[in-house]
Amino acid sequence: MRPLYVRRTACVTTRAARVNGEEIPVVATSDPFLTALYRRLGIDYPRFFKMDGLSKLGFLASELLFWGDASRFLPREDCAVICFSRTSSLDTDRRYQASMRDYPSPSLFVYTLPNIVTAEIAIRNKLYGETSVYICETYNPHQIFRTIRNTFAHQPLRSALAGWTEYDGDTGEAFLMQIETQAASASEPLLSAGFLTTAKHNL
Amino acid sequence: MDELILKLKREIIDVLNLEEVSPEDIATDAPLFGEGLGLDSIDALELIVLMEKNYGIKLKDPTQGRDLFKSIRVMAEYIRENRTK
Repeated sequence: MRPLYVRRTACVTTRAARVNGEEIPVVATSDPFLTALYRRLGIDYPRFFKMDGLSKLGFLASELLFWGDASRFLPREDCAVICFSRTSSLDTDRRYQASMRDYPSPSLFVYTLPNIVTAEIAIRNKLYGETSVYICETYNPHQIFRTIRNTFAHQPLRSALAGWTEYDGDTGEAFLMQIETQAASASEPLLSAGFLTTAKHNL
Repeated sequence: MDELILKLKREIIDVLNLEEVSPEDIATDAPLFGEGLGLDSIDALELIVLMEKNYGIKLKDPTQGRDLFKSIRVMAEYIRENRTK
């Protein structure tokens, strides 16, 4: 089994954002926090405004992971996107269900899929490796660690974005790691589920 | 007609979540799809819903949208002639 390294971690909630544990300062505006963060990062991707809450969280966390990477938009088949979630698309499922009382909303319907968050990240960054979403009852570091290791064991991957994405009732969080098979200067080895426990706790 | 065009632009911005766009940014005669606002097929479905919900216009044939959604002006003219509310 090839060793795995975590180059960077990013956590975005509906109230704050951190990279490697360091908070990204965002000036409060009349915009919701996620929109304010989008503007703070100077992103030009109008599709963001069409996304549901879960996808916005995952998208922004992935933006923070790729921040400053000059090669980030080069198409890659060796980078996977693996997300874990408790409620997955349930929040949007409810909103879509509510819209059915009047006129069912096509743009809400698009987001009634648990894996749309990984698709949004993959589309933005031209990542053509595996994308998958696992629905779990809780944040389970052992299960997440095992799944990440198995994905790298069975796919010709060099990197992956992986972590926990959760959104329900206007609150949520995305905790993503940039995992690679090659060590970089500031990366940390991903040796056990303990890393996942500590990293998320520290965020 | 100008009032309807402005109202329609505002409705489209709202329903399609075009946060960075103001009514002044939308050229009345510019194509809505492909270039111009760069809308996609899901946006087209939202426009069909908008026509029915706000103006009582039910498009029986979705391919009608191809001609109808050419520009804001074309949409506004169609609405003026066919609206039921």
